[in-house]
Amino acid sequence: MSEKILSRNFGVKDSHTLKVYRETGGYTALAQALGREPAAILDEVKKSNLRGLGGAGFPTGMKWSFIPKNHSGPVYLVINADEGEPGTFKDRYLLERDPHALIEGMIIAARAIKSALGFVYIRGEYVEPWRRFTAAVREAYDAGYLGQGFDIVVHRGAGAYICGEETGLISSLEGKKGWPKVKPPFPAIKGAFGQPTIVNNVETICCVPHIINRGAAWFAGLGSKTQGGTRMYSVSGRVTTPGVYEESCAITLRELIERAGGVSGSGRLKAVVPGGSSAPILAAHEIDVVMDVDGLRNAGTMAGSAGVIVFDDTVSIPEALMVVARFYAHESCGQCTPCRESTGWIYKMCHRIVEGKGRKDDLDTILDVAKRGAGTTICAFYDGAVGPYISYIEKFRGEFEALCQR
Amino acid sequence: MSVQSIAFSTGQLAEVRRLQGLYPDKRGALLPVLHMAQDTFGYVSLEVEEYVASLFGLSPAHVHEVVTFYTLYFRQPRGRHVVAVCHNLSCHLAGAPLILAHLKERLGIDVGETTDDGRITLQAVECLCACEAAPMMQVDDRYEMNLTPDKVDRIVEALR
Amino acid sequence: MPKLTIDGKEIEVPAGTNLIEAARRLGIEIPHYCYHPGLSIAGQCRLCMVDIEKTPRPTIACNTPATDGMIVHTQTDRVKETRRSIMEFHLINHPLDCPVCDQAGECWLQIYYMQHGLYDPRMKDEKVHKPKAVPLGPHVMLDAERCILCSRCVRFCDEVTQTGELGIFNRGDHSEIGLFPGADLTNKYSGNVVDICPVGALTDRDFRFQVRVWYLDTTKSICPGCARGCNIDVHVNRRRPHHAEGRRVARVKPRFNEDVNRWWMCDEGRYGYGFVDAPTRLVLPVRNDAGETRELSWGGAIAAVVDALGRTPADQTAIIASPKLANEDLFAIKTLAEARGIRQVGFRVPPPEPGYEDDFLIRADKNPNTRGAELMGLDGKVDKILNEATAHRVRSLLVFEHDLFDTGWRESDVRSALEAVDTLIFVGPNGSRTSDRAHLALPASAWVERDGTFTSFEGRVQRFRPALGALGEAIPTWEIVGRILAATGAPVTATRAEHWFRALAAGVPAFAGLTYQSIGDTGAMTAGTAPQAPAEAKA
Repeated sequence: MSEKILSRNFGVKDSHTLKVYRETGGYTALAQALGREPAAILDEVKKSNLRGLGGAGFPTGMKWSFIPKNHSGPVYLVINADEGEPGTFKDRYLLERDPHALIEGMIIAARAIKSALGFVYIRGEYVEPWRRFTAAVREAYDAGYLGQGFDIVVHRGAGAYICGEETGLISSLEGKKGWPKVKPPFPAIKGAFGQPTIVNNVETICCVPHIINRGAAWFAGLGSKTQGGTRMYSVSGRVTTPGVYEESCAITLRELIERAGGVSGSGRLKAVVPGGSSAPILAAHEIDVVMDVDGLRNAGTMAGSAGVIVFDDTVSIPEALMVVARFYAHESCGQCTPCRESTGWIYKMCHRIVEGKGRKDDLDTILDVAKRGAGTTICAFYDGAVGPYISYIEKFRGEFEALCQR
Repeated sequence: MSVQSIAFSTGQLAEVRRLQGLYPDKRGALLPVLHMAQDTFGYVSLEVEEYVASLFGLSPAHVHEVVTFYTLYFRQPRGRHVVAVCHNLSCHLAGAPLILAHLKERLGIDVGETTDDGRITLQAVECLCACEAAPMMQVDDRYEMNLTPDKVDRIVEALR
Repeated sequence: MPKLTIDGKEIEVPAGTNLIEAARRLGIEIPHYCYHPGLSIAGQCRLCMVDIEKTPRPTIACNTPATDGMIVHTQTDRVKETRRSIMEFHLINHPLDCPVCDQAGECWLQIYYMQHGLYDPRMKDEKVHKPKAVPLGPHVMLDAERCILCSRCVRFCDEVTQTGELGIFNRGDHSEIGLFPGADLTNKYSGNVVDICPVGALTDRDFRFQVRVWYLDTTKSICPGCARGCNIDVHVNRRRPHHAEGRRVARVKPRFNEDVNRWWMCDEGRYGYGFVDAPTRLVLPVRNDAGETRELSWGGAIAAVVDALGRTPADQTAIIASPKLANEDLFAIKTLAEARGIRQVGFRVPPPEPGYEDDFLIRADKNPNTRGAELMGLDGKVDKILNEATAHRVRSLLVFEHDLFDTGWRESDVRSALEAVDTLIFVGPNGSRTSDRAHLALPASAWVERDGTFTSFEGRVQRFRPALGALGEAIPTWEIVGRILAATGAPVTATRAEHWFRALAAGVPAFAGLTYQSIGDTGAMTAGTAPQAPAEAKA
């Protein structure tokens, strides 16, 4: 079991308070960072191999470096706390149990990208995390960490998964529907309110104080070759002890399931969704895979948000796909055509199949439609839906066919 | 509620202006102000949309776009309590369909409906990101986790 | 100026030109729905995919600016397959109701599906149902099921009129365009949303179910509704008159002119052609004598006019010309006035109320050719003519087009003046209380029935062409005036509008050098005026 970095305080009473955060070494990284040049902070983060932990896994330092050097106007730091990927709950823990880590990380990140204003976009359903985080922000203002060249605005969403997509989030922050923006321009060039903007996930930014405190080399060494650090894996479904597990990015899926007490239900593993519902499913024989961005990519799936959902062999894959397809149909923002039109259609087909009214050609239709739509949309939402559509059917076709008797 | 009664108090208007001032463009405060409006007026009626539009200098159509896009804005009167059962994957695996069926039967309403006494509105919602405690539901501001039919009964019983 | 290659053809385009426009310059059409050159880039329809070398997958052309050395392919197998896929997506929830859809025949779903369809619909589940036949205001009808959510109409109202009436509500496949409940689409340019709707979602209430578009003929024209001179196409129904109960002009559409109206026109102009087929049209020359109306032949009518003019000294004759007349008509009138020595000539009759004006297209001056009349020096004092008539010092009065009772003048003043003249001669396409009182009323062709030019407020001379034959015995005003001139012994050789225009160009310096050819389809500036936009901007 690796050292707890991000979750080290989760078991400590009142870990969300400034007092406890300080007592456990909080805000010491900030003091260090304030003595460093922005470029030096950026360099440290680059060397740490920190990668975005919200879903896309993009190298964080590189993302920060896209802010135009000669920009004279404001730069915004936006925190994506719109956690919504099915099977993921780690940001909720961080917001509720270690909000100051996010604040400290934000102040340091803001220094690196020369931002004076940060927004934290918290999903509307997260009322308690929002209260906790807002209280922490107030404490940080009172203690003088905020308001000294960097301010934080806490923003509440209103119920839309697509606002977890960084440009959908920006649209929502601007007071609009959460429609993702057509790229280019990318947010680092023209983001929130038309200004260069960096959007980072909660957990990603929570890593930053540790990188500053203990060095890039230490952080990089915690993980795999191409991804530094530990990661908060959300493990749920048919496991004995579901929960958040902070582990090295170099852990394998098999080990992770064991950490969570092993497969529950029948005790026999059937499949695992390794990175939130958008990640293609892995069959039981595919779980000896390293749980970092590249390991999972090489296995034909993705690390995504590290939401691991375990299926024992009593789970109906067609029923699971119907649930997942219902989610994507419900959450498609409706902006661009392939996603808007086909998520609903595919859900209708999946629903029909589960009801026993499937036709043999439905499966090939779903696969063909999904493959045709993949890569044609404005944002990655649809590709996220295509992951389960294709992998569930291709890997468990027999189960579907058994339901399609017509 | 009559049209005339759709107005914030002086204090609330000051809060609206404060929120608008937090963003580089005041429109950024639209979602927070709609939350405020919903808390104040009970739900976001068309009159509320027009009122909020006037506070932002927006066309009512643009506010209507926003209100109809997000799930947390109620466009019809809701019950005194909102019970939102997660029916996404982890909760589904943990028995969310049973929890929903139990609630429907107990409350005598379908998903999307409100009990006749105006006490509870029942919803089925997508992942609330508490999968470690599936099945779960949100009751107003609270997450209620690791549900069983008995536990659901106790929770619902306590809602007045 | 980046130079790029599209389908093997090289082209240099101004920096910032997107690939749809760059391809268009080469005559290559990249299929698209949401892109419109007059609106912001939405990137929603996903149809305009092209392959760009060194790019891993097809990319939307609308949001891709041309860059130097870029190599673009619009016809690769991959692109064609992508288009077929996107077309299928567009039609999943579309009702496929072409037989009862007004857009049929000019629908981009039909056109692109013919080119890029899968032809074998696989969608066998229940489609999403949305509102149908919803009036959005006085002019526009919405069928939300036919809508492909390209958002052009929404962007038009946000960006062009900046009135923001339309929105896209809900999300996913329940997304639909609409108005705020209870509101109307009443901006003064609402008809444009019908033009830019690529499918049958927004149709024109005035045109709905009147005639199939494939029976329409199109003629280039100029809107006569105000001094702007918006370029238009007049669509007429000549081949199936029974389809629209005798209504000949089926509709008017804006015609692109970069320097005048770009893609747009106002509703007042668009729906303002009703007078062409109105029951008030004059179809025969008539003489009114003590309450008795007698039809005349043209020969008889002209002789009667010449007789009246001959009996009245030139200083007791006056002409009220009209800024609704074409340059050719006005120059014929000028020629007549000069030949007869008539010096009391004016046209600027005060309107009943000041015209509405905005900072976009609509001008307060509701006449298409005030500038032309001014340039020809016809701007005499009309108030004085009225007063002189009342004082019996004008004995013969020629009134063109105006209904003097529908002006800024007091009705009693007009009545006294007209009662005082010996001979009131009216020339115009439509009858009115003025023509009712005229001793001679001569039917003129409406603007859509003839050739001619208007000079816009900016000094742009623009041609309109005949879309229809004249009603009854009506003939163009220049011809009526020409016949009068000829009958008085003046040498008249003009037999076409163009001949009068040549004479105008030779006789009035502002028009010097202009010809129908040089005016072309986009107009030409009179001397001493400069176009507002550089010629460079013309696509």
